[in-house]
Amino acid sequence: MKYKALWVLCVLICLVAAKDVSAHKVIVFAWVEDGMIHTESSFGSKKKAKDCPIQVIDEKGTVVHEGVTDDQGNYVFKIPDQVDSDLVIRLDAGTGHSATWKLSHDELVTPGDENHLAASMEEKQKFESGPSPLKIMGGIGIIFLLALLTGYLRKKKKTHD
Amino acid sequence: MHISEGVLSAPVLVSGAVIAVAGCAIGLKKIDYDHIVHVAMLAAVFFVASLIHVNIGPSSAHLILNGIIGLLLGFAAFPAIFIALLLQAVFFQYGGLTVLGANVVIMALPAVMVHYLFLPLLGKSPRLSIAAGALSGAGAIFLSSLILSAALWLTEKNFFETCVLVMAANIPIMIIEGIVTGFCVTFLLKVYPEIIPGQKNGNTSDRKSRIEKGQKNEV
Repeated sequence: MKYKALWVLCVLICLVAAKDVSAHKVIVFAWVEDGMIHTESSFGSKKKAKDCPIQVIDEKGTVVHEGVTDDQGNYVFKIPDQVDSDLVIRLDAGTGHSATWKLSHDELVTPGDENHLAASMEEKQKFESGPSPLKIMGGIGIIFLLALLTGYLRKKKKTHD
Repeated sequence: MHISEGVLSAPVLVSGAVIAVAGCAIGLKKIDYDHIVHVAMLAAVFFVASLIHVNIGPSSAHLILNGIIGLLLGFAAFPAIFIALLLQAVFFQYGGLTVLGANVVIMALPAVMVHYLFLPLLGKSPRLSIAAGALSGAGAIFLSSLILSAALWLTEKNFFETCVLVMAANIPIMIIEGIVTGFCVTFLLKVYPEIIPGQKNGNTSDRKSRIEKGQKNEV
């Protein structure tokens, strides 16, 4: 009983302590609204990338702006002056995790309409959606198909020998 | 544990790819016909385990399971993990294709290492088995974190700081994987010891031995 309680305690401690463990998919999404560039960063849709550095890089590779995401993984800033190229927003989520998002020059100079914004939001949701069951089953299916193929080839080779 | 695209330098990516290809070649050579289903099964487990995120309150964790995969497969962990990571990169954009080699090395090399370090301890006594299983699970994550830190160090040149960050982030996973792997090993030793190399009939000949047993029963 004493040991069981210890195990349960260990698991609970680990799960609580694991809140800062990074997930696999790092996402940064950016759009232009009212002369400002809005960014949202997350590890999937629910877990936000907090306090992570953001760099804004132009086509020449020059860093034109830098900032840090807030508690909600958001960072908003004014469109940098004299931008004459596309901009790449780069999120550094630490320990090997990073993501980029490209904003075209047209998007930066043309005031965004509601349709464009809605399209951007749809794109964002699509990007943030988790793995579908179909893809998971498909992946497992491919693994077993490869195993079958390998088995068949090995058997054929054995028969030949 | 998956490194994203665009983080590592070209020499690190190339070195990772070369080691991964070598590991996969050795692994494929070592897989025998009777062992293929086990490899596929564990590749599928790895593929799914990395996807499952358990959210309890504000926290979230996920399993990697390279310790148990390494214990059971040895060098065959390389092709198993390679396929699983490739499918994750293609289907879910986890990690990436250019960084696939490095990610394979980060997760498969520790798996092979724990196989040779802890497999001889399994089955000697129940306590030693659970300890060896737990050390395999935790040790594989520890070694993965170390290789990940080294890969980042070779790109960014600040090993200590990177290593501390990576280790701190992965300590909870080490403990969880240690517990899970310890229980898995104990369970497998009781219900299906043949899947563990070197136990009873060992996994390379369990099919043959079952056929022989069946034939004896028929007689």
